[in-house]
Amino acid sequence: MVDQGDAGALHSLLMSRSLTDAELLEASDAAPDYAILPDANVLKIGGQSVIDRGRVAVYPIVEELVKAKGDHQIMIGTGAGTRARHLYALAAELGLPTGALNDIGTAVAGQNAKILGHLLARHGVPVVGGSGFGVIPLYLAECGAVVFPGMPPYDMWQHVPSEGVIPPYRTDAGCWLVAEVYGARSMTFVKDEDGLYTANPKTDPDATLIESITVDELIAMDLPDLVIERPLLQLMRHARHVRTIQVINGLKPELITRALAGEHVGTIISAA
Amino acid sequence: MTDTDPSFASKDVPSTLMRQTLLDRELVRPATDRPVIRLLPWLHVVTIGGRSIMDRGRDAVLPLVDELRAAFGEYRMLIATGPGIRARHVFGVALDLGLPTGVLASLASTEAEQNGHILAALLAEEGVSYLPHTSVGHQLAVHLSASPAAVSNGFPPYELFEFPPVIGKIPPHRTDTGAFLLADAYGAARAIYVKDVDGVYTCDPATAGDGEAEFIPRVGAAELLAMDLPSLPIDRLVLELMGSAKHQKEIQIVDGLKPGNVTKALRGEHVGTIVYADA
Repeated sequence: MVDQGDAGALHSLLMSRSLTDAELLEASDAAPDYAILPDANVLKIGGQSVIDRGRVAVYPIVEELVKAKGDHQIMIGTGAGTRARHLYALAAELGLPTGALNDIGTAVAGQNAKILGHLLARHGVPVVGGSGFGVIPLYLAECGAVVFPGMPPYDMWQHVPSEGVIPPYRTDAGCWLVAEVYGARSMTFVKDEDGLYTANPKTDPDATLIESITVDELIAMDLPDLVIERPLLQLMRHARHVRTIQVINGLKPELITRALAGEHVGTIISAA
Repeated sequence: MTDTDPSFASKDVPSTLMRQTLLDRELVRPATDRPVIRLLPWLHVVTIGGRSIMDRGRDAVLPLVDELRAAFGEYRMLIATGPGIRARHVFGVALDLGLPTGVLASLASTEAEQNGHILAALLAEEGVSYLPHTSVGHQLAVHLSASPAAVSNGFPPYELFEFPPVIGKIPPHRTDTGAFLLADAYGAARAIYVKDVDGVYTCDPATAGDGEAEFIPRVGAAELLAMDLPSLPIDRLVLELMGSAKHQKEIQIVDGLKPGNVTKALRGEHVGTIVYADA
């Protein structure tokens, strides 16, 4: 922890300097990092990869989540999926801007959160979003899990990609940012592949699994396709709490519990 | 389970992006390379600095309010406010307690909102109201059809979802950036930043010696970033984002303490520093 002198120096820099001032930024860097929910784990359940598959994929995962929440606090974020792709394609064809497309991701991830929420309702697990985030600690303490839509609420203020109009920060980034801001214990992406491959394993038979890799190595490889959103890699470089993520195969639901227990059962991507 | 699994294939909604990861540029491009339309081509986004204008109180705010009022009817405006000195205070409190950037962002956003309420109150008689983010993002068209202007929080709704910054813990998406992203998304006619300096100088004219600070009337965003000046009247992130903007290829920074500047900038006159997309 900083002593009172440092806090005083930071206060006077904040009152007098520009917020882009180098000395001010360094001083803010030296401030302590308090993890708000250090025992919580964030799990992202893919939209296209998991929920769109329906009962065959979702029921076993729901069962696994119900078992796991007895031992671990879980914040379950949802992806968007095939309906978002239809809407993105339609909106792009009509010339709508990225900001308008952001809502599409929010709406579809929200539907998926409702779907999972209804399936988990009998186990006491609620769906939260927006201002409801304030009650997450209570829900985690009472029933061990909450569901939230994974899309970041950037609305008309979403970054514009260098090419095209699809929002660059979608549900992978949104879920990780939730994990990071709460100082969560772990971040796991539940998809339909064993992890990150050198190419898309669904379309390239030569794709091989990468069991662990750093963010910098992955950026340097500049793979044509990726299992997680590319801009998330840049965000992770500056993480203060969640410096590793794991991508696992939710079609093998038992891996969820093992990943929550800290086992390496998919691809681990780390910031360092 | 593979792609050929019939139970999966039958559950897709057909589209040009169907089953894509949306991360393969070659596959995404043909589906998304249409020109983007301007949703509100008549919109003028006017950003009022927190520290530079609002914190100065009556002497700075009232003449500016009069000037904005006089321009109503001719220009339809969204007026975005910054948080000013109270954001600095709350940053200090939260940093000392170890709270993360996302929490700092949500706390500072409240201050920008308060300045918005103040400005909206001063313009209420003209039919101007403060609009929360959801209304600005979804009902701006109807509000600006019913009244000449609306006031909003310049901070974007990033809050807990704010990015961890490259250095330190100060939220990177602040008023200047929020107003810029919004202006670009709506395809606004102009984005004007009202501050307490004429625009960009080679160093801070408030602290530099006589004649040392040189004024830059017009500069490219990438060029300005490369100059790596010790202080800028606009957030650096705006300059970084200008390159990928669809519509907002130019912004103007003007001195709002000099009467007439904002009106001239609304007309398109060059009275401050114009920064343009050069990347």
